Amino acid sequence: MDVKTARFDTHVWEERRASARRAVSWVLLVVAAVSLLAAPYALSAYWVRVLTTIFMYGALASAINIIAGFTGYPAFGHVVFFGVGAYTAALAIARWGWSFWPGTVLAAAVCGGFGAIAGLPLLRLRGHYFAVATLGMNEATRALVENFGFTGGGTGVILPSLRGSIREINALFLVLMLGVLAAVVGFSYWLSRSRFGYGCRAIRYDEEAAAHCGIPTTRYKVAAWTISASFTGTIGAIYAYWLGYIEPSVVFDMNIAVKFFVMMLLGGAGTVFGPLLGAVLVEGIGILSWSRFLTFHSAVFGLIIVAVIILLPGGLADLASHRFSLRSLLRNVQENRV
Amino acid sequence: MLTLELLINGMLLGGLYACVAVSFSLIWGVMNLINLAHGTMIVLGAYVSFMLFRAFGLDPFLSIPVAAVTLFLLGYALQRFVINLVVKGSVFMTLILTFGFNLLLVNALLAIFTADTRALTPSYAGLGVAFGDIRISYVRLGVFAFALALTYLLNLFLGHTRMGQAIKATSFDQEAAQLVGVRIRDIFSLTFAIGAALAGASGPLLGMLHSFSPVVGGTLTMKAFVVVVLGGLGSVPGAVLGGLTLGVVEHLSTLVLGSGYQDAISFLSLLVILILRPTGFLGKKFYAELKA
Repeated sequence: MDVKTARFDTHVWEERRASARRAVSWVLLVVAAVSLLAAPYALSAYWVRVLTTIFMYGALASAINIIAGFTGYPAFGHVVFFGVGAYTAALAIARWGWSFWPGTVLAAAVCGGFGAIAGLPLLRLRGHYFAVATLGMNEATRALVENFGFTGGGTGVILPSLRGSIREINALFLVLMLGVLAAVVGFSYWLSRSRFGYGCRAIRYDEEAAAHCGIPTTRYKVAAWTISASFTGTIGAIYAYWLGYIEPSVVFDMNIAVKFFVMMLLGGAGTVFGPLLGAVLVEGIGILSWSRFLTFHSAVFGLIIVAVIILLPGGLADLASHRFSLRSLLRNVQENRV
Repeated sequence: MLTLELLINGMLLGGLYACVAVSFSLIWGVMNLINLAHGTMIVLGAYVSFMLFRAFGLDPFLSIPVAAVTLFLLGYALQRFVINLVVKGSVFMTLILTFGFNLLLVNALLAIFTADTRALTPSYAGLGVAFGDIRISYVRLGVFAFALALTYLLNLFLGHTRMGQAIKATSFDQEAAQLVGVRIRDIFSLTFAIGAALAGASGPLLGMLHSFSPVVGGTLTMKAFVVVVLGGLGSVPGAVLGGLTLGVVEHLSTLVLGSGYQDAISFLSLLVILILRPTGFLGKKFYAELKA
C-alpha cells in the first residue's frame, strides 16, 4: 500500500468515526431530553427543584462563558444582569400587571441595552481593572435598587402567585430553565464554529493582533457582552417568577456570580459543554456537602474552589483532551507557580 | 458647621482608608494579584484585638502589633504554600482563589465568633476635643495618626531597606530582578505577608471607628480597590490622597443624599474614575499590569 492510499484510508476512517460519534451523541441527547421532560412526573418535588437549579446554573455558567470564556473578559460582577433581569420582570409583572412572556422579553432587552451601554466604556479596560469595574457595577446597581422607591427598596418585590398544581408549576419551571439552557448552549455551539466566535477567541489570545487582522474588536466585545447579558437577564427573569419574591441581597449576590464563574472554570472556559458539566458537578458536590456538613458547606465550597484552581487551571474539559494522570495535574501546578 | 465637622471626620476616616489601600496596592502592584480576602483579613485583625481586649482588657492601640504579627504569619503561609502555586496563571485563577479563601475565612470567623456585631470601645471612647462647635473624638484622631504612621513606615521600608528595594524592583521588572539575584518566590511571599500584616494592623483601628462582624470584609475590599484606583496603583502618596478623597466624598455625600447612598456613591465614583483615568491621580503602569 503506498503512502497516498494509507493516508486516504485513515482519513475515511476518521470521518466515519466522527459521524458515528455524532450519531451517538444525538441519540443520547434525545434520550436525555425525553427523560428530562418525564422527570417532573417521575421524581419527587425536591429532585425536580434540584434539576431546575442545575439547569439554571448551567445556563448562567454558559452565558458568562460567552464573554469570559470565549472573549476572555473576566466579567466578575456579571450577576448584575441577573439582578436587573429579575427586577425588570418582577416590576413589570407585579407593578404594571404585565404577563410573564412580555416581562421576560423586556428583561432580556433591558439587560442587553444595559450591557451595550456599560460595555462601550468598560470594555476598554483590561484584566483586573475590568473585573473589578464589573464588581463595582454590581455593587452600585444594588445600592441604587436598595434606595429607590419604585423598586421597593430593601424590602423587595412580591410577584403574584401562579395558578395550577404544584407539580404543574414545577414542570413549567423545569422546562423554562431547560429551554433557556438549550438556547445558551446552542448559541455557544454556533459561536464555537462561527466567524464571530473565531473573532472573539482571537481577542482573547491577543487583542492587538486581532485588531491588526481586521477584526472589529470593539464591536465584537460589546456584542458578546450584550448577548451574554441578555441571556443572563432572561434567566434572572425566570428565577424571579420561580421564587415569587425577590430582594436586592438575593439577586445581586456576589456568591451567585462566583458560583457560576467557578462552574465555568471547573468545566472548562471557552468550551461549549464545559460550563454545563461544571454546573452539574458543583451543584452535585453542593447537595452532598449541604446534607453532610450543614454549617460548613460554604467552607467546603471554598476548599473545592482552591483545589480546582490549583490542580486544574484549564478545567475538566482539559482532562478530556489529554488522558488523565497525576503527572498532568502536577504539570499544571508547575506551569503556573513561581 | 456641620459641613466642616463632616469634612474633618471624613479626612480622619480617610487616613484609615489610605492605610488599608496601601497594603492592598502593595500586593496588587507587585504580584498583579487582587486579594479579595483583604477586607476579611482586616476584620480578622479586629477580632484578634477584640479577643485581647475582652480577655486582658488590652487597649486596642496596643494590640496592633499582635494583630499585625498574626496576619503576617497567616499571609506568609498562604502565599508561600497556596497562592504561589497559581500566581502565574490567568486573572481568573487568583480572583477565584482569593474569593475561595475569603469564603473559608468568613466561615471560620462566623463559627468562632458568631455573626454578632462587635465593637472595640476603650474607656476613652466617648471623649474628645472641642473647637467651638466642632467636636472631634480622641479615638478618631488616634486612628488617623496610627494609620498614617503605618503608611509612612511602609513607605520608609520600601524606599530605604534592601528588602524593600528588592520588592520594588520585582514590581517594576520581574525578569530583571531575577537577573540581579532576587528570589521571586520569597519576595512574593514576603510581600503578601507585609500586605497582610498591614491589613491586620488596620483591624483594631477599624474596630474602634465602626462596629464589625465577620461579613463586612467585602465592602472593605471594594473600598480599598476604589482608593487604589483613585490614587493610582503602586503609589503610596496616591493612596493617601485617594483615601482622604474617598473619606471626604463619602461623608459629604451623606449631607446631600442621605446615608443610604454612601455605598452607591463610592462605587459610582469608582466606575467614573476607571473610565476617565484608569491610572489614577498619581499612578503609572507597572510591570505586572503591562503584562496582563
